[in-house]
Amino acid sequence: MIRALSGGLGHGAEVIGGKAHGLVRLLRLGLPVPPGIVVGAADCREYLAAGTLPDGLDEAVAALGGRVSVRSGAAVSMPGMMDTLLDVTPPVATAVAAVFESWNTPRAVTYRRLHGIADDLGTAVVVQTMVYGDRDGRSGSGVAFSRDPNTGDPGPYGEVLFGRRGDAVVAGAERTLPISALRAREPGVWDSLCAALRTVERHYRDVCQVEFTVESGRLWLLQVRPGGLAGRAAMRVAVDLAREGLITRAEAVARADPDRLPRTPLLAAGIAVLSRGLGASPGVATGRVATTAGAAVRMAAAGPVILVRPTTSPLDLHGLAAAAGVVTARGGPASHAAVVARSMGKPAVVGAPIGELAEGRLVTVDGSAGVVAAGEHTPVASADDPAETTLRKWAR
Amino acid sequence: MDDGDGLVLHTLRCMGFSSAGRVADAAGISADDAEDGLIALAQAGLVTHERGAFGGWGVTDAGKLVDAERVAGELDAEGARGVLTEAYRRFVGLNSEFLDLCSAWQMRAGGGGPVINDHEDAGYDGVVLERLGDFDGRAVVVLGEISGAVARFGRYRERLGVALGRVRGGEIGYVADELESYHHVWFQLHEDLLVTLGIPR
Repeated sequence: MIRALSGGLGHGAEVIGGKAHGLVRLLRLGLPVPPGIVVGAADCREYLAAGTLPDGLDEAVAALGGRVSVRSGAAVSMPGMMDTLLDVTPPVATAVAAVFESWNTPRAVTYRRLHGIADDLGTAVVVQTMVYGDRDGRSGSGVAFSRDPNTGDPGPYGEVLFGRRGDAVVAGAERTLPISALRAREPGVWDSLCAALRTVERHYRDVCQVEFTVESGRLWLLQVRPGGLAGRAAMRVAVDLAREGLITRAEAVARADPDRLPRTPLLAAGIAVLSRGLGASPGVATGRVATTAGAAVRMAAAGPVILVRPTTSPLDLHGLAAAAGVVTARGGPASHAAVVARSMGKPAVVGAPIGELAEGRLVTVDGSAGVVAAGEHTPVASADDPAETTLRKWAR
Repeated sequence: MDDGDGLVLHTLRCMGFSSAGRVADAAGISADDAEDGLIALAQAGLVTHERGAFGGWGVTDAGKLVDAERVAGELDAEGARGVLTEAYRRFVGLNSEFLDLCSAWQMRAGGGGPVINDHEDAGYDGVVLERLGDFDGRAVVVLGEISGAVARFGRYRERLGVALGRVRGGEIGYVADELESYHHVWFQLHEDLLVTLGIPR
């Protein structure tokens, strides 16, 4: 059944999918969301069983006017597993069918088995008026967290790519700017985004992540996800939210129980950071930067080495074996480099800009937080982390 | 350079630093032939031998260039570029799924984010290995297309099969830890496809 996206839509995520559910919340909060419709998860099940799409799809999409985006959105998040099609010219039957069929790709099936998600749920599809991050010089795309997901520090954190669509940000092929670049270039958009992040955080009573597009100086929100922080950042945020009165102390302890969080060593918050990426293999290691596998092997004779590569190939394996940790500019937590680093039990940070990491420089990598810091640092002992100390006090 | 030395050079190019014995095994030739080939290639400046804990045989920059030219020439001479390019497209889809599987094998979701999989939970490991078996069944099809286009790729199928057999026999280091683990062989296959098709990583 086709439903218009509106703040009045009362169905749960199991009917309209997690993405649409979040968009409905944004609309209720008065935040800018491109007009759209939702094709329900039941329609996916019907399509996969009988090959038929719901009545009224073409008419509903035609009423939106112009080109659209067609995005998957299951009740349970399955990031990157299903299709998203941008800039589709109606009619959209083929595109909607393609997204429905992507529910059953082997990769999606594997993901569901590993995460205990039922195979018969199906995915909803959100069709929205296309907004163009590449329309002009006052356009762009990005992702933003309401707080730093690595440290829990307050204030917006994220990245933006001017003059590009959202798929360019997600693909990671182009160099993004820190989200603060918006402040100088589009102060009005920056203010709107900061206000929106505060609003969603108050609503969800948790850190939130939004995907956004700026089209000719106007902000549009395309997705919201609450939560998802790990380790010490989760503890810091739980304590701060309780102090701000958004959650109770008991909720803070329940969300970030220090005894249940993984006991991976992490660097203290607030140290000088040279580069940030994604933590791909936990642990902390300090050493001198080696920018080739050969240099890593040579330098390792004199002391610990951090191998820094744009990406890794089998030709880097002996360098990785010699190194104490690894940083790569490209690739995600599911990359060959990450798999090899984990197999060797070495800290790894992936998808991190490496311009500052010159050969011979002494750095420390934190493979949980995804941080590369200048100089030597030792992991924080539990007793020295103020957030953990506070949570333990509240737990008593 | 004869075809035997060319195979040794290309095998080493896709493996990274290795002993002569590992090159022989990966290429499916005798240890003596691998050793002779490596020595001849070293005299031509195409490979080098480094001592030390992380040493072994490795290709030189000159060796990479010669190999790239040789495999590209071979591919075009056999008229196999189109078929291999198409098979590579399917490999890329499998590769994403396989790296998801390796990540799930090594790390699992915990209350406060991903934690290292300690392999104490036989139920969880069983699910991952069941999916690896399913994956392998689909990978065989694409590997068949690849080795149908360029016969030397057939050796990867054999090596992956050996790794999976050892995993099934309880040697779980052959998922992603050992030098001849399923992941490491797959990683070399990935490199081989990129080198053969001339695609930068």
